[in-house]
Amino acid sequence: MMQTISLPPNTAKPGWLAIVGMPLGLAAIMTPAVLLAAGGSGQGFDSVVHGIESRYHAHATRIPFMGLMSGIAGIATHGGVHNLHVATFEHFRGDGDNQVDGAELLSLVEQHAGGGWSRMIRETSRGGEEQTLIYVRPEGKQVGMMVVDLDHNELDVVEISMNPSQLMKQAREHSHHHHDADNSDSEHDNDSDSD
Amino acid sequence: MKQSRVWVFAIAVAMAGATAVRAQDQLPAPSPIEKTLAARATHVTEVTLDKTMLAFASKFMDGKGEDGKEDKDEQAVKQMIQGLQGVYVREYEFDKDHSYSAEELDGLRKYFENSSWSPMVRERTKGEAKGTDVYVKLVDNKMQGLFVLDAEPKELSLVLILGPVDIEALGKLGGNFGIPKDAMKKAQKEATK
Repeated sequence: MMQTISLPPNTAKPGWLAIVGMPLGLAAIMTPAVLLAAGGSGQGFDSVVHGIESRYHAHATRIPFMGLMSGIAGIATHGGVHNLHVATFEHFRGDGDNQVDGAELLSLVEQHAGGGWSRMIRETSRGGEEQTLIYVRPEGKQVGMMVVDLDHNELDVVEISMNPSQLMKQAREHSHHHHDADNSDSEHDNDSDSD
Repeated sequence: MKQSRVWVFAIAVAMAGATAVRAQDQLPAPSPIEKTLAARATHVTEVTLDKTMLAFASKFMDGKGEDGKEDKDEQAVKQMIQGLQGVYVREYEFDKDHSYSAEELDGLRKYFENSSWSPMVRERTKGEAKGTDVYVKLVDNKMQGLFVLDAEPKELSLVLILGPVDIEALGKLGGNFGIPKDAMKKAQKEATK
């Protein structure tokens, strides 16, 4: 059985612009809201930085061209280091222009970092004016590392992905070249002395 | 119906057993004494590495020496790290001498004064709170854990290593992961006596 829908005599058929335009417009309005919500509830570097920004009413300075630098670091280390993210907070203060409460900062970072990150090192000074937190997480064959470093009125958040075996290889090659250069220098010095 | 109850009971027992075994290998929660020490210290370093993190840390060791050639000591350390269950290091630095009491040191030692841990080294300075204690966990005559408490006038270090410990590689472990070199060398010296 076939059903037919009859339009009232004065109703014009909706044009293609109305059919396509409405969902597009809705999507355009919704996308920023969805992205903002995702950024706020996500985990890791961005979530930690956003969490600190909103709790301490501070604004993080993102290092310009960090994507480019990250790429260069990846090429220079043959994939040993990549995915570099850095955010810096200058003139960073706690409530009422007081020192930041170290325990509160720790709990804020842990809350926003998410379950994948495990704290490896915490270094603190009395009064909480200095604090370093180092987190790691497995990323397949690589290791993700996140560092939150508070030094009096400056706070830095750094995230990096590393390939341990590649880094070790690079470090070994570098020290080998350095060793060779030192040896050739000392041989050269010996030759000069004998002259 | 009865058979399914038996299965549920068996699974519950197995899970409880697994949890108990896991709890034995897990790093302990900080004692309240550590919290009071941390509040008094000018500088506190906490290093906590579980099995997963140790596995990753071992990737930064390629078993080679500074000359790029195979190094047996480095390989032994790497092998030991891969087998460990956890490493827990706490270092407290104070601005004044003896900022901790003998009672606090006793409280820290108490955790290891049970049947599975045996004291190996007990070094004391008369009239002072400083000294070194080394406890080992022996399972079937094999070292499965090591605890070092090293108290200096302005510094207090706690090192807990869980898992199979290779005495030969122990000295080399000092200096890595925030583990004090002197304390490890002292423990190695006493263990090889």
